Amino acid sequence: MSLLENFKKGLWRENAVFRLLLGLCPTLAVTTSAENGVAMGLATTFVLVGSNVVVSMLRKVIPGKVRIPAFIVIIASFVTVVQLCMEAYFYDLYKALGIFIPLIVVNCLILGRAEAFASKNRLLPATVDGLGMGTGFTLALFVLGAVRELFGSGTLLGYAVFGSGYQPLILMILPPGAFIAMGLLLAAMNLFDARRR
Amino acid sequence: MNSTLRLVLVLTLITAGAGLILSMVESVTREPIAEQRRLETLRALKTVLPAFDNSPDADTVQLVYGQDKRGRELQRTFFRGRQGSEIAGIAFQVIAPDGYSGNITMMVGIDSEGTVVGLEILSHAETPGLGDKITREEFKGQFKGKTLQGVDWRVKKDGGAFDQITGATISPRAVVKAVHKGLQFYHEHRQDILTSERVGQ
Repeated sequence: MSLLENFKKGLWRENAVFRLLLGLCPTLAVTTSAENGVAMGLATTFVLVGSNVVVSMLRKVIPGKVRIPAFIVIIASFVTVVQLCMEAYFYDLYKALGIFIPLIVVNCLILGRAEAFASKNRLLPATVDGLGMGTGFTLALFVLGAVRELFGSGTLLGYAVFGSGYQPLILMILPPGAFIAMGLLLAAMNLFDARRR
Repeated sequence: MNSTLRLVLVLTLITAGAGLILSMVESVTREPIAEQRRLETLRALKTVLPAFDNSPDADTVQLVYGQDKRGRELQRTFFRGRQGSEIAGIAFQVIAPDGYSGNITMMVGIDSEGTVVGLEILSHAETPGLGDKITREEFKGQFKGKTLQGVDWRVKKDGGAFDQITGATISPRAVVKAVHKGLQFYHEHRQDILTSERVGQ
């Protein structure tokens, strides 16, 4: 598989959220606005690339029997780095994402890529895999956040889109709205794929 | 035996490496994080206090206002804003334990007469789109100019003086109750707060 293919698979064909349905807990919880979605996506991408790089480099050193605890230590370290840096330099974002930053540790997307890809591949493919998967995850969170923000608050990235007469559909930024938006987007993607075939 | 030793060794090395990196990151970010927290308090103080020319976060009084479930003392910090040497206003944090979801932390500012100057919501987990409207100016603004005496400290639905929010009565009710309690505490300890020597920080 070429590197480009390797990168592109995360965007659509093996998109973490819409195709693998991995990491749904943070996805559904933080996507109340497009901005939160992008921030969470970028934080996850950083952790994913970092853990893929380290896991790939250490893949011959780590014995199979202790690989899971080793992966978790590596992932948790990257998450803590992200959390500290965010609190120090992006305080408002840190407050908005709150509890979901530490929860990146248990995002099965990251452990999944470490186990399924990074631990079996050389450094370069593993890095590209992390970038592709992370970008796909970020895009998915952005789209989900944008849809929910648009209908739930009538804004997009904080700017009012509809006139002042628009009555926000509060349901869309409440938890059920996450499932509804997710379901509709999945259906749209499946329809698109079915047509193309 | 040999392979067991290897497992232990590798895992120990990885965790030691992780610990080393984390301690380095922590030492780099410690200062900026403390600064961010201080700035947040200062920002809140600026919005709730009348004009001041000292640094209220360094001019504080701490008083015990109750006990938690385990019998430990709960302290409340009073920030004193001054113009010259005169006290212009006092700010303090109150926590409403009875919000719709979790605690609502607020900063209340009053002038030297005991009239509320401003209210700022520091943290909350109320429902987006409903209860979180307590952070809007329309809601917070109605506390301005209120005093402990002569004001009915309840929401209108309960017969009081404060507008609730359509679809969310619990959050405003919790906020009004907490501010009221805070003001009562202030009036009971007014002398201590205004005259005692500066403590802490």
